[in-house]
Amino acid sequence: MIFQTPIMALLLVSGLAGLVALWSAWFGLRVLRRWNLADGSREQLEMERQTHLISTLFGFVMLAEALALLLFVYNADRMANLFVGAMCAVGTLNVNEYGFPALYLKVATFFAAAVWLIVDRADRAGRDYPLTRVKYAGIILLAPLILAGGAVELTYFAGLETDVITSCCSKLFTPANEGLSSEVTGLPPALALWLLGGSGLAVALSGAASLWWGRGQMLFAVSGVVLFFVALAAIISIISLYVYDHPNHHCPFCLLQPEHGYYGYVLYLPLFFGTALALGAGVLQVFVGRPSLRDILPARIRKLIGLSMVAFGLFGLATIWAIVSSQLIVFG
Amino acid sequence: MITLSAVTKLYNEGRPNQMAALDGIDLTVPGDAVTVLTGPSGSGKTTLLSLIGCMARPTSGRVHLNGDMVSGLPESFLTGLRRTTFGFVFQRFNLVRGLSVIENVRLPAVPLGPDHVELTERAMARLEHLGLADKADIPVEYLSGGETQRAAIARALINDAPILIADEPTANLDTVLVNRFLDIVADLRAEGRTVIMTSHDPRIFTASLVDNVVRMVDGRLDTEEAPA
Amino acid sequence: MTPWLRRQRALADYTLSALGRRKGKNISLVVIYALIVFLVASIMMFSSGMRREADLVLSEAPELIVQQLTLGRHELIAGGEVEKLAAIRGVTAAKGRLWGYYYDRLNGANYTVMVPDDPTIKLEQGQAILGEAIPRSRGLSWEGAPLFLSRFEGDLVKFDVVDTLSHDSALVSADLMLITEQDFRDFFGLAPDVYTDISVSIRNEREIATIIAKAEKVMPKARFVTRADISRTYQKLFDWREGLLVTLAIAAILAFGIFAAEKASGLSAEETREIGILKAIGWDTGDVIAMKLWEGALVSVGAFLTGAVAAYVHVFLGGAGLFAPVLKGWSVLYPDFALTPQIDVLQLTTLFLVTVLPYVAATLVPIWRVATGDPDQVMR
Repeated sequence: MIFQTPIMALLLVSGLAGLVALWSAWFGLRVLRRWNLADGSREQLEMERQTHLISTLFGFVMLAEALALLLFVYNADRMANLFVGAMCAVGTLNVNEYGFPALYLKVATFFAAAVWLIVDRADRAGRDYPLTRVKYAGIILLAPLILAGGAVELTYFAGLETDVITSCCSKLFTPANEGLSSEVTGLPPALALWLLGGSGLAVALSGAASLWWGRGQMLFAVSGVVLFFVALAAIISIISLYVYDHPNHHCPFCLLQPEHGYYGYVLYLPLFFGTALALGAGVLQVFVGRPSLRDILPARIRKLIGLSMVAFGLFGLATIWAIVSSQLIVFG
Repeated sequence: MITLSAVTKLYNEGRPNQMAALDGIDLTVPGDAVTVLTGPSGSGKTTLLSLIGCMARPTSGRVHLNGDMVSGLPESFLTGLRRTTFGFVFQRFNLVRGLSVIENVRLPAVPLGPDHVELTERAMARLEHLGLADKADIPVEYLSGGETQRAAIARALINDAPILIADEPTANLDTVLVNRFLDIVADLRAEGRTVIMTSHDPRIFTASLVDNVVRMVDGRLDTEEAPA
Repeated sequence: MTPWLRRQRALADYTLSALGRRKGKNISLVVIYALIVFLVASIMMFSSGMRREADLVLSEAPELIVQQLTLGRHELIAGGEVEKLAAIRGVTAAKGRLWGYYYDRLNGANYTVMVPDDPTIKLEQGQAILGEAIPRSRGLSWEGAPLFLSRFEGDLVKFDVVDTLSHDSALVSADLMLITEQDFRDFFGLAPDVYTDISVSIRNEREIATIIAKAEKVMPKARFVTRADISRTYQKLFDWREGLLVTLAIAAILAFGIFAAEKASGLSAEETREIGILKAIGWDTGDVIAMKLWEGALVSVGAFLTGAVAAYVHVFLGGAGLFAPVLKGWSVLYPDFALTPQIDVLQLTTLFLVTVLPYVAATLVPIWRVATGDPDQVMR
């Protein structure tokens, strides 16, 4: 265990998020059993009022988790010099087997909480709170994710031993190795860029279709998620090379370091936001037929899709800028 | 038009001190008219007024506003409805101390996210109309009784609500001020607004502009006596 | 402006004028809150400044230091080993170093006495260059005053002070005394061909492990300390001290959280009535929560900025007078220096989470409780 303030801050966030998750899951169970809007009783009124608290709490947990996600990666980067062999976040996360799972769970929590908040806002817009049951069923699913994330993170930090020799990005992201990360690294750059362009085009077309003709929203959400994964692969396979001006440095984390002008944030922030909004739009599309939401949802979904397209567009611009401004020539 | 059918309101539900404030009320309050609820204290007229004004939900029974059922709506929709449909003048006026008159008048519009300049103009126009324009920037605790009442009326009308709800509006006013209040009500009627109030002040419920008097006793409508 | 923004602006407007009415209460809250932020921020900024300082010093240190061990303790090393190390492939240079400690009975301080290996430092027999703390503690206030050192009763050695070291790296050089090799050997009575340890420069950092492996065969009894090892030790030391202090500060944050929750829930009758009025005239629970959150945000941001700026001034301009003894370690020759100002996003985010999150957590439930009052209560 390393005694460090950022680690304590992260554990604090996870602890609070865990408490909120537990408590709201418990409340969720009550809602699933007792929720009845037609009932004018005190109990129903109090449940309605508690949903305000849960929404506010979740909004904060989401905000804190988003900050914590940034802090987690940033701190892993910063701690790299404490571990033999670590040069960036990859090395730190590799110190024990819980590092990367903790990161993945944090990312998953971010997306899940974002979608939940989008559903929550839609629910409040409907006169009969049409999605309340769905929402609280969602919380009951979300709570284990948040708790697991906190537990894995705690295990990871508790097991940080500085005398462990870890392997860093130069070993992990090498085509010659085995495993997923090297598969991705070995993805031919040209193919990666074609895939990225293709999914970008799918996003643009389905987005345009849903904005102009009001159809294809589901397709947009799916393309958004596909774009997310393709973009991560493309960052590892080729975009990182352009940012580093180096033909063999594939690391997706070194991008976040000051030496590279924090370019990673320019890439990741719009990508993550775009994906979260696309996911939210897709989930809302499922409920578009609910009577009390029929007049409200289409406009909301359009707005989400529009914002999501702006975010993806920013990501696209950042990618193109990385390629154009690079000294590195991969093709030609 | 507001219709109540079989409306019951319990306080402290399920506890030993449970109390039925209203018991099986069937009532239609006409739009575009002045209605006064009257009766002795504790007869439930204020509770009835709060149900009419969508301030609370009935324990059982239904409330319809212009044909839409509002009794089953979640609290936040009731609030939204209240903001746009009703303006409230409370018995003790309930202005927020420490804030100026104009700040108080603007308050009900705050959650609607209004344009600040336009809202201030609207508030000033309303104060002007009620003869309070020169007091706009004074804290409300320095107003006299009649001025406080007019400030409360200005606040109630800031969202241009079609229905004004007033709870014992003339409780502490002398005859001059009561007449002034009745003039204001006449003005509101001329603007086409509906006025619903509680009062046990004969100067109010016998006034000529009152169209409709509802008498209450012990949480029920008092049907023994025909309305005046 | 969108309606959403306008609503937020209107709510913030209201909150500001509402806060202004209870100046005493709110100012006392902000002051206590800012004090907590100041405490935590000072600790964090100071120790990060120290880490940076240590890195700065280490960046000029040799990649590898070789020490002789006898009975598990650091021992003088024979000059012949220098050539053996220099002969290993990948080693740019190997040099014997001479350094030791001298206890000065006059001021009860320990000096680090060293022979400089930087060829640009010109020293002659009988001359010395001193770290800035030595002349200060010995009261050598005038230029050119000589330094007399006594190794035992009746002994006196005179050194002409030709220079004092700058403040730049005062953390390590405050108690430093540089003299020539001959003076060093005479002063400590050292044989001509022994050294304290050997510094090894290595061209490629990636080869350090290989070179150590080779050197271990040549010198099986020696200990090899890399620059990275030292850096890591420093980092851990400062991290640990920072962690310890922040843990203590968390107790303070907790106490503050309870205090804040008390403030937020124990609203005066007047405030409760006020919220009742707002609800009655058409504010929704969400509106009241939003307004209260604005209040919390104004208080938090005010306290956060005040506390962080005060900490910056305290640590980087005021020399961190409050915490320095704990974080630096105790020493008679106390370095007198200003840390290079530096703050980064990591620190600020951490500080924000550590201080603002507990406040939010402590006040949210009370805020919600106040906000969910019955709208018709003011009519009853």
